[in-house]
Amino acid sequence: MKFDGTFELDDTTTEEVWLALSDPVLVAAALPGCEFLVEVEDEDVDFDALREQYADRDLKPTADPDVIEERAFEEGATYAALVQISVGPVNPTFETVVTVDHREFPEMSASGEGSSGDSSFEMASSMALSETDDGVAVDWETEADVFGRVANMGQRVVNPVANQVVKRFFATVQQELRELEMADGDGETDDRSLTDRLLGRSRGDKT
Amino acid sequence: MSIDSVDPDDVDAADILGSAIERREDPSLITGDAEYTDDIELPNTAHMAILRSQYAHADIKDVDTSGAEEMDGVIGVYTHDDLAREDTPGELPFMLPVAWLLPSLNAVDHPILADGRVRYQGDAIAVVVAEERYLAHDALDEIDVDYERREAVTSPSDALAGDAPELHAEADGNVALDWEIGDESKTDEAFADADRVVEFEADNQLLIPNAMEPRAAVADYSPGTDELDVFMTTQNPHVHRLLMSGVIDHPEHKLRIKAPDVGGGFGSKIHHYADEALVAWAAKHLERPVKWVATRSETYITDAQGRGHETTAELAVSDDGDIEGFRVDTKANLGAYLSTFAPAVPTYLYGTLLSGQYDIPAIHCSVEGAFTNVPPVDAYRGAGRPEASFVVERTMHLAARELDMDPTEFRRRNFVDSEDFPFETQVAVVYDSGDYEKPMQEAKDLVDYESFRERQAQAREEGKYLGIGFSCYIEACGLAPSELAGQLGAQAGLWESSVVRFHPSGTVTAFCGTSDHGQGHGTTYAQIVANELGIPYDDVEVVEGDTDEIPHGMGTYGSRSAAVGGSSLVKSAEKVVEKGKRIAAHQLEADPDDVEFSDGRYRVAGAPDRSMGIKDVAAQSYLAHDIPEDEEPGLEATSFYDPDNFVFPFGTHVAIVEVDPESGEIEFERYVAVDDVGNQINPKIVEGQIHGGVAQGVGQALYEGAEYDENGSLLTGSMQDYAVPKAEHIPEMETESTVTPSPHNPLGVKGVGEAGTIAAPQAVVNAVSDALEPFGVDGVEMPMTEERVWRAVNGQATADGSGERGDSDADEGGER
Repeated sequence: MKFDGTFELDDTTTEEVWLALSDPVLVAAALPGCEFLVEVEDEDVDFDALREQYADRDLKPTADPDVIEERAFEEGATYAALVQISVGPVNPTFETVVTVDHREFPEMSASGEGSSGDSSFEMASSMALSETDDGVAVDWETEADVFGRVANMGQRVVNPVANQVVKRFFATVQQELRELEMADGDGETDDRSLTDRLLGRSRGDKT
Repeated sequence: MSIDSVDPDDVDAADILGSAIERREDPSLITGDAEYTDDIELPNTAHMAILRSQYAHADIKDVDTSGAEEMDGVIGVYTHDDLAREDTPGELPFMLPVAWLLPSLNAVDHPILADGRVRYQGDAIAVVVAEERYLAHDALDEIDVDYERREAVTSPSDALAGDAPELHAEADGNVALDWEIGDESKTDEAFADADRVVEFEADNQLLIPNAMEPRAAVADYSPGTDELDVFMTTQNPHVHRLLMSGVIDHPEHKLRIKAPDVGGGFGSKIHHYADEALVAWAAKHLERPVKWVATRSETYITDAQGRGHETTAELAVSDDGDIEGFRVDTKANLGAYLSTFAPAVPTYLYGTLLSGQYDIPAIHCSVEGAFTNVPPVDAYRGAGRPEASFVVERTMHLAARELDMDPTEFRRRNFVDSEDFPFETQVAVVYDSGDYEKPMQEAKDLVDYESFRERQAQAREEGKYLGIGFSCYIEACGLAPSELAGQLGAQAGLWESSVVRFHPSGTVTAFCGTSDHGQGHGTTYAQIVANELGIPYDDVEVVEGDTDEIPHGMGTYGSRSAAVGGSSLVKSAEKVVEKGKRIAAHQLEADPDDVEFSDGRYRVAGAPDRSMGIKDVAAQSYLAHDIPEDEEPGLEATSFYDPDNFVFPFGTHVAIVEVDPESGEIEFERYVAVDDVGNQINPKIVEGQIHGGVAQGVGQALYEGAEYDENGSLLTGSMQDYAVPKAEHIPEMETESTVTPSPHNPLGVKGVGEAGTIAAPQAVVNAVSDALEPFGVDGVEMPMTEERVWRAVNGQATADGSGERGDSDADEGGER
């Protein structure tokens, strides 16, 4: 099944949104039900080990560009996530492995799959950022195949869940952006903005 | 028109056969006193749950059961490898058999647990046996399956297209069977000379059976005696015993299958599935009782589905309206494996009915059966006959329109003449008896056809769209005789057994090899036996459904119970009466030839005061103090009755609907059913069967349909997404009967279990088509959701006959 949509984020810039969406910690915090999201060596992931390793980790989204630079998503890299989603009467926890297929400002795409005991999914997602009068529009689309028990619940159950997840994700991203902005404003010492640094640009070097 | 039930106490013994007496099984069923399989609580019972594939098509690289095995309370976890173990009962292959063979059949392997590959979502991979039911289900989550997903295909035409993913190495191009019936060259000639050719093309969608009670089994094994008892939801316990004894390699005489109260089947409990065999196997292995009860979601992905045809039909007609030839080409969906009787359904139960009620001089039908990644498809109420009746009656509707003839006049003109019975069709069957004009005329009178047409014309002027749809169906029940069934490929006889046993006190137990699962055999069979023996109805008890108590029997399906089982009971009762006559004659000191039997008494001809009641004869037979020298004591008889032919019920159903072209809504104004099912044993039960059948037929027309996504995942996996009609969705039905007895069986009955389901869908589709004629709409694909109706009115792609196929969005089906 295919889902797509456009999400509008007010009072921000494409650079800021790009920055936020580059940080796995912020993405993990914004993704409802996400226990962790970490880079892994390959697609064969031992989730039990990861669960133990990251159970007590308490990383906060940061405004520190060095930290973000260190952990930002990379094209070609693979990430593992543990995500619990409520679908109708069930709450499957999906062990999810995603590879970033393409990442070049202002576009990003990723694909992967997730599985729980009796359900699984395969997906390919992409998004593109663009400026609007009030802020930033995120055009996103996901093509997903759902299998097992969740699939049997039909699109009338699955579609609203998917839309809800996306909506909550972007709402949280927007909120985090606001909070980070405040922190950013206080602590910035470099004369380039955090965004520029992350994008590897000198100040004002707009594309 | 609705029949009132009567109290059996108010009916004279002589009138009991044919009376609408109350069903004696209802008090137990409606008070919860009935015992279903899940009600059986044996001490120390363990519970089984089944891990099913989440993919419709995948290779299984590995199954890691260790997580489940470590759980407290889990007794065992078994995969295909465990079936092969030295310390587990039986030996490979543990394959499910197919009980109907055809020369072209690709009888592919069907293991009870996946052997490296799964082919539909629901294919069993592993079983967990645990101390508690919920624990067994929880443990399924701890089994780790390493799948490698394959591409799936779900429609028969896609599966046969050549470039589709292949399901079975031994079935090239997914061809399960290739079959034809009729005379191809004669049919081609008829078309070559025809004035006109009317074309019809439509799908008959896959349906999910939805019996009230999900499938279930409890097995109990005694290691000391090697006896294995299996209580299960079955329509045919003896057939299951025979098949299961082979599947799990347990001797048939040490295997007992018992059907407790069974909450409906509609065909879905005929077939031999993997699940019940696994329960029996686990009980034998663990030497303790094991129970499995399917969840409703499980039945949605595992119960054999029905229908699943894609058909193109052509009718050759003269300008005067005479039918000259009929040509049908069908692609049938058989699902992932061949279910028990699956090969018969789209072939001999379908092609043989394509002459309908009509005298068609040339018919040819070709059927290609396809393996696809949906659950095995098999008999579902009507089984092949609804599909045939749909094709015939939709085509007749379109032909009448093409010729600008009245649809009833066009049909009447082509009906088999009532003088021509027995009538041999061009598709290999001989209709036993019939009078097709009678029910149609009766139906037309009931709906006041002439004035309806006036009303319809007036309504159209007012922008209201009324339509009338006819369905003049033919049905075939009680497939017989066994010799013919054998020639057609059945791996079983289709006779029926019975025992009628007098007890010394004069009451009777009647046993029959059929197996009630809601039909009311306890009532109707007692009516038959009481009538034959001339004893009170309350003195007859009926026993079915236990292989340890009853001679080998064939079970209940295909509307065969009255025609074959009921007739068998008549034969046994006749034998009892005959033996009783010899004992009575001896006691009355008369020649048996001079003794007559009527109303339960033996009387010496010409000496009316010398008589003896059959109950006294029974008592004497057991005392055996004074019976003829060469006579054995006791009074009972066994029969194995093999009918001479099928019986062919028929009738006319009429739907009148109003369609709102703006919203696509369909509203029923009338639904009239005039059925001829031969003599009626109990008119109230006949009426109930018609009601239920029509409800299921209307369900197919308007609401139901199994929908799969492109990966073979079932999208209509619950009652939220698959609309089984509720009372409010079903029209008020007006039922009437005509009676044309069957000449073949002693009761003159024809069978009624499936008639409504066979008749209804096309009556409703034809009515909608008639209502929308001003919009140029020929028909609407089933289920006729508001969206599809609206699209048809607005010239969008989903009307049938538009040439568009297979492009229906997954979310537009089965919902309402």
